[in-house]
Amino acid sequence: MSNLLTWITFLPLIGAVVVSVLPKGRPQYAKWVAAAFAAVDLGLTGWLIAGFDRARGGAMQFAVDVPWVPQAAIRYHLGVDGISITMLALAALLGLLAVVGSWKVTDRPKTYFVMLLLLQVGMNGVFMALDFVLFYVFWELVLVPMFFLIGMWGGARREYASIKFFIYTLAGSVFMLVGILALYLAPNSGTFDMLALAKLGQAGVFRDIEGWVFLLFFLGFAVKVPIWPLHTWLPDAHVEAPTAASVLLAGILLKMGAYGFIRISLPILPHAARAWAPWIALLAVISIIYGAAVAFAQTDLKKLVAYSSVSHMGFVMLGIAAMNPEGLNGAVAAMFSHGVVTGMLFFIVGMVYERTHTRQIADLSGLSAAAPVTGGLLAFASFASLGLPGLSGFVGEFLSLLGAWRASTGTSPLFWSGLVVIAAVGVLFAAAYMLWMVLRVVLGRPSEAVRSVTDASGREIGVLLPLIALTLIVGIWWGSLLGFVDPAVKALLAATGAA
Amino acid sequence: MAWVLLIALLPALAFAAMAPMSRAVRNRMQWLPLTAMSGSLVLSFAAFVEVWRAGLGEEPVWEAAVKLAELGGNPLEVGLRIDAITAVMLLVVTIVGLCVQVYSLGYMHKDERRGWYFAVLSLFSAAMLLLVLAGDFLLLYMSWEVMGLCSYLLIGFWHEEEGPRSASIKAFLTTRVGDVGFALGLAVMWATAGTFGFGAVARFNWGAGAGLAAASAVALLLLFGAMGKSAQVPLHVWLPDAMAGPTPASALIHAATMVAAGVYLVIRAMPIFIASSHENLHAVITIGVITAVVGGLLAVVQHDIKKLLAYSTISQLGFMFVALGAGSTGAALFHLVTHAFFKSLLFLGAGVIIHATHTQDIREMGGLRRALPWTTTTFTIGALALAGLPGLSGFFSKDEILVALVNIPDAYRYGLWEKWVLVGLMLFAAGLTAFYMTRLWIRVFGDNACSLARESHKKMLVPMAVLAAISVVIGWTQPAFLTFLGHEAAWPDPLMAGLSVAVFAIGVGGGWLVYGRQVVDTEVIKARFPYAYGMLANKLYFDLTYSELLVRPFHELAGWLSRFDQRRVDGVVNGAASWWDDFAGLLWAGDIRVIDGAVNGLGSLVKRAGARVREIEVGRVQVYQQLAYAGLLIVLLVVLLLPWLRVLLGLLVPMLRGA
Repeated sequence: MSNLLTWITFLPLIGAVVVSVLPKGRPQYAKWVAAAFAAVDLGLTGWLIAGFDRARGGAMQFAVDVPWVPQAAIRYHLGVDGISITMLALAALLGLLAVVGSWKVTDRPKTYFVMLLLLQVGMNGVFMALDFVLFYVFWELVLVPMFFLIGMWGGARREYASIKFFIYTLAGSVFMLVGILALYLAPNSGTFDMLALAKLGQAGVFRDIEGWVFLLFFLGFAVKVPIWPLHTWLPDAHVEAPTAASVLLAGILLKMGAYGFIRISLPILPHAARAWAPWIALLAVISIIYGAAVAFAQTDLKKLVAYSSVSHMGFVMLGIAAMNPEGLNGAVAAMFSHGVVTGMLFFIVGMVYERTHTRQIADLSGLSAAAPVTGGLLAFASFASLGLPGLSGFVGEFLSLLGAWRASTGTSPLFWSGLVVIAAVGVLFAAAYMLWMVLRVVLGRPSEAVRSVTDASGREIGVLLPLIALTLIVGIWWGSLLGFVDPAVKALLAATGAA
Repeated sequence: MAWVLLIALLPALAFAAMAPMSRAVRNRMQWLPLTAMSGSLVLSFAAFVEVWRAGLGEEPVWEAAVKLAELGGNPLEVGLRIDAITAVMLLVVTIVGLCVQVYSLGYMHKDERRGWYFAVLSLFSAAMLLLVLAGDFLLLYMSWEVMGLCSYLLIGFWHEEEGPRSASIKAFLTTRVGDVGFALGLAVMWATAGTFGFGAVARFNWGAGAGLAAASAVALLLLFGAMGKSAQVPLHVWLPDAMAGPTPASALIHAATMVAAGVYLVIRAMPIFIASSHENLHAVITIGVITAVVGGLLAVVQHDIKKLLAYSTISQLGFMFVALGAGSTGAALFHLVTHAFFKSLLFLGAGVIIHATHTQDIREMGGLRRALPWTTTTFTIGALALAGLPGLSGFFSKDEILVALVNIPDAYRYGLWEKWVLVGLMLFAAGLTAFYMTRLWIRVFGDNACSLARESHKKMLVPMAVLAAISVVIGWTQPAFLTFLGHEAAWPDPLMAGLSVAVFAIGVGGGWLVYGRQVVDTEVIKARFPYAYGMLANKLYFDLTYSELLVRPFHELAGWLSRFDQRRVDGVVNGAASWWDDFAGLLWAGDIRVIDGAVNGLGSLVKRAGARVREIEVGRVQVYQQLAYAGLLIVLLVVLLLPWLRVLLGLLVPMLRGA
């Protein structure tokens, strides 16, 4: 089925239309319809995965490539390789779980679920688009529903947070837009096709402009990842966003930035990427340590998780900057794992908040005594997050470190090995902030707020189960994920001459 | 021999079956880990027999690897390896593990979360067994970390109390300090040798120059990891605190098995040490000697029976490191084995004593030998084995270490007097062992204080009897043990044995004179040497140093960075927004009104939602809002008016190309 990618992308759009025309008097229908569309979308993604040829994971499969705006050489070009399919799967899964996790939303449910489905369109599309204009459209499309989700269903400071999120990321992507146009307008170019541009870039066509075009893309992606010091929109957005939006924000939206580096910066601007790699690695390591230290000082549970994302995404960027098989496999593994594990953390924090109406760590204590399942799951997610071997978080962190160390055998060994040592200390810091949170929230005698909470419901456990399963599967059998990723990594490195 | 995987898998499955259950169901499933562990024990025996029959010494009897993933097309493998060392370790872990589990049936039977306790104990056993089955450093590291998790969970088992809570996090973080080294060591190993397999790394030719430096780096980084897990000075501070956990868990994890994993790691890494530089082995010996002496000294001043035993464990692990530093993996492993049996026996005995007296302070005990005859007998056997009574196991293994030290290879370049200083320090540490165990014995069993304590249930006494029996006989296997490992068989060396007996006699005699006959008043000694006693009573200020120089500064740094993040980093962002506000207000007030009007439709949607904006941010929010509308407009324009882009581009492209 050659239209499979198109269906996966736009099925949620049909869902959004259907939800929006549902009868006004029956708001409870909205979630069922949304869940049905998200479930079918996930099913189609499953079908896609089943039909995906892992051995040829380096090539774009299921490609659709037709003219869209022929006058400007803009094409409707979709395709997935081994890297994008993992991100797509994550987006489809978290998209469904976000809908099911929002079952109790009663405030303007129709609009809410329309927004979730629209968001799904953008998220799916970003990971498939192979035409720059198409990519940019999906990229910006994601902003709009997320803006409304935070702004309309968020917490007390939702306006501030949503607008800050919007402006900040939009400002970033404006730079990216300039970068896209620069590539299009460059001599001997005249195409928006990312694969064609990669070939040109690898042939050295963009040699003269590569440096500053890379910088433009860097600004766009770095805000999204986020890389220190461009991260301050993230804690605000996370804290104010409703649970499902936090899950998708951390799980998918941050990945878009890192994905941009892998899909665009590395293949199209390989020479600049290599030149800038040490600086990116430096910022990555600052993000790791800085995010972990600031997370340690947080008094708000959600903010702690938000800053932990800054730290974890640092490992992703470190792996990317290493530009070798270990590093890139590690980066994608860390992206996937962060999506699963942080998604889990945000769901659980949401469950706790729903019951206690507080996210202040000081008010929460003894969760495992009052609600053993919820407490146990929070502890499990925390251990996955701090990189315990056997759970998914370890794979990415470890491989990123291996990759970064291998990079140190190239030029400037002292610089790189110093970075790796500091990054490894970040692993220790991760244990510190996570375990200290567990100590205060999960362990001990139940506090006033926690004493009478009900434990996780069947639906809530159902939402978390797939994430728990993925954490274990990827953590134990690395090949289940890297079997898709590595062929693509290999192809990428071979093409850019860095293998 | 793929069935050996079952040895680790059985307890893992027991955990997997228990973990998702409710508390009530779990509490009724205690038989499951026990059954699994019995199965593992039987299979471990079978594995041992296979290895014995093959008689290959250091060569593996069986190896297998699976591909974990491919990295750039190169396989990343993890695997299992069965050789003599594995066979011995499997037996030790399963025997002690089963004894501890049976004992726990009695010890934990009133605890309302006993099911969880057994589940975690089972997961621990699985991880420890996988660790010794592992054929490569990566799988070893992974099981090593899972063990750390179980240790954390069991130390903090009674987490309602503050003590266990903070002890558990301290243990995890301190050992993870070591693990940072371990992980970096793996990174260097991978970058240089391109493999993690024991055999492949041992065969790898590190070459000279940079390669040799890499080998040294790997050796020292792995050593650092081992120091964390095996509680070597200065990373030993977590182990005494870890005694906050249930006593049988301390016996298994913090005396017999997990803490010995560091020793095991260095045994496996020995080829790297030997290939790199003898100076790395000097480091091992130095750390071992310091730890043996410091642990012994600190044990002397402890009043808490479990903490005393914990410091004793630290000291004995130091003995094992000394053996490793002398290049004698056989002596290290032999002491690891004998220590596992008699120290877990001592902990189980301590558990009975604590149960019976409801205190851990040995000053509040006394005269228990009448009330607890079985415990007294077995505990005494364990204490004498530890102290080094000739004929019991500790005597043999400690002697083997001293012999290894005297016969240290010339290649390690020790001068004669250096060698004998080391021997002297180790004899001193051995004497300390005899001394503090005598003190402990007299305080607990000695005086004639009347005690109402009652002996514990058979479930607890039988495992102790088993461990006591093993502690008596296992020493005599010394020559066979060494042959089995492929080393040269040896009985104790007469000279070293004589010195050992002498320090044993001095230690016990000294202890008896001070604490039994009370020829000197310990209070007088304390008063006479206040400085020295203060040092020991404050644990040589290690804990204080760490909390003042590391933990507190980190708290402060985190707080400072958090404020910095809010005020400075984010301040720039908000500053830019308000600057934009002024700028825009000055120049383009009219335009903004136009844009604002254009997107009023969308804007009203947000405005309805935004009734509760904080006052301070009102101004800023308005700017953001205006910018947001502008941004939304751009997005919509780009999306909707894409076809018109052609016009623009059609104009621009030739212009730019022409230029």
